[in-house]
Amino acid sequence: MNSGCDTGCDSVGWFSGGKVPKSDWSALSTVVKAEAKLQSLGEITPSRRAGVIYRDSDDNAFLQDIETELNMVLYQGDGATKTAFEIKDDDRGMRWIVLDDGNFGDLVSSIYTVGNAIGANGAGDRLLAAVFELYFTGTVEDNTYRSGLRTYWIYRYDRKAFYPFVPTGESEGERDRPTEARLGNDLRKHGLVVEKSLTEWMGLWGIPF
Amino acid sequence: MSSLTTRKFRKDRGLVTRMYFTMFMLGILYAAFALFMLAAGLHFIIIGGIVGVMLVVQYYMSDRLILMSTGAKQVSAEQEPALHRMIKTLADRYEMPMPKVAIIDTAIPNAFATGRNPKNALVAVTTGIQQRLSERELQAVIGHELAHVANRDMRVLAIANFLVTLTSFLMTMLFWNMLFGGMGGRRSGGGGGIMMVYMVTIIVYFIGQLLVLALTRYREYGADHTGAEISGDPGALADALEKISGTVANIPDKDLRKLQTANAFLIIPAALKGQGSMHLFSTHPPLKERIRRLRELEQRMRYGLR
Repeated sequence: MNSGCDTGCDSVGWFSGGKVPKSDWSALSTVVKAEAKLQSLGEITPSRRAGVIYRDSDDNAFLQDIETELNMVLYQGDGATKTAFEIKDDDRGMRWIVLDDGNFGDLVSSIYTVGNAIGANGAGDRLLAAVFELYFTGTVEDNTYRSGLRTYWIYRYDRKAFYPFVPTGESEGERDRPTEARLGNDLRKHGLVVEKSLTEWMGLWGIPF
Repeated sequence: MSSLTTRKFRKDRGLVTRMYFTMFMLGILYAAFALFMLAAGLHFIIIGGIVGVMLVVQYYMSDRLILMSTGAKQVSAEQEPALHRMIKTLADRYEMPMPKVAIIDTAIPNAFATGRNPKNALVAVTTGIQQRLSERELQAVIGHELAHVANRDMRVLAIANFLVTLTSFLMTMLFWNMLFGGMGGRRSGGGGGIMMVYMVTIIVYFIGQLLVLALTRYREYGADHTGAEISGDPGALADALEKISGTVANIPDKDLRKLQTANAFLIIPAALKGQGSMHLFSTHPPLKERIRRLRELEQRMRYGLR
């Protein structure tokens, strides 16, 4: 498993009050524990899918050859997660790398690896978000979360933080805000790095998986 | 939807105790204040007459005054049949007569109830809250407002407010008297004594204000509790509060793909969104605490621990 500070891991935060800036890995990896905790409580189960959304570029060799490159990154070498992937374009001009892996830990690791590879090849500023798909499994009587409802946990690369997204329709603005707020609190409680500013919790409608 | 079995309305004991305790403390403070006023030699009969008229006006015209000041428009059963039906059902559960119904045309989600007693009650909702809440949530919000009416919160608050009005009025009189020496006439003692009276007045007023604010905060918890008892669904109000509070409303409509990396610098001062640490000075208890208590009640009701 990849760990640590390949990119963006300054040792000291000079103007952030001594806080050490988060690396993508230190933020992304918190999703493993938070998911495990919620799953053990019977609230949630992950689907096999997750994705990285980015703005494609004609000028970047790595992105132009993304399929070959990802085959290298995900399948070669010791400890390769061998996560299945697929490239998809959405109807809003963005490209998705959709990953499929039944092991949530491997899925997170592969998401990190993909984002890290894109960043290391000069296209870090093209990365928008990593998105994990999960389902609520709590019983209806339980009244906490509606069972069967789909949720996405969005990781924004520019904010280095997660937030939950529960779309209720395909068009912009259709989302279940109270559920998102509640889930956000729960996730924070279970150790996930959650975006503090709610105004940054922007949705992604029409996710192609 | 929740069953329509009428639950016998019970007054929130703790709330009533706290209300009376607060009123008692206010009484002691104002008595002390009156003594100082007498010592200062003011004709408080005149003052009392003026403020008495104000009290009567405020007490009997509160619903009309509120309609005027908020722009709420009273609506008939023909104009808003669904809203009327919902309020009628709830009023029956509280065993109170059908209140007047009003609508405020604004996108800001809000609701209030007013009236000196259940016979003269008025419930107003904004068009914003009608649009944003589900039927179950709107029912919870209106139930909360009717609980204020049932708990006679308006009357208690009117009296408390009146006492504060009286105090501030008398303070002004005293200040005037101190500066220009008129009115009171046979003023004894030096300026130092008056100064002391004045200082005491300020302290009395300040503490009185804090007590009134504490009272209004207890009213909110009490109405939350009563509303939940009547509906049997505390979670509905918690959901509604979460939905209409600034926090949840801050979650944007915007798609992440519209974000231009270059101009993604929205500056929202955290202080503007904070619930604030000045609990003593706010009229509503922190939303977080209200929601927490409602969720706790929800748990207890679900497992039958009452």
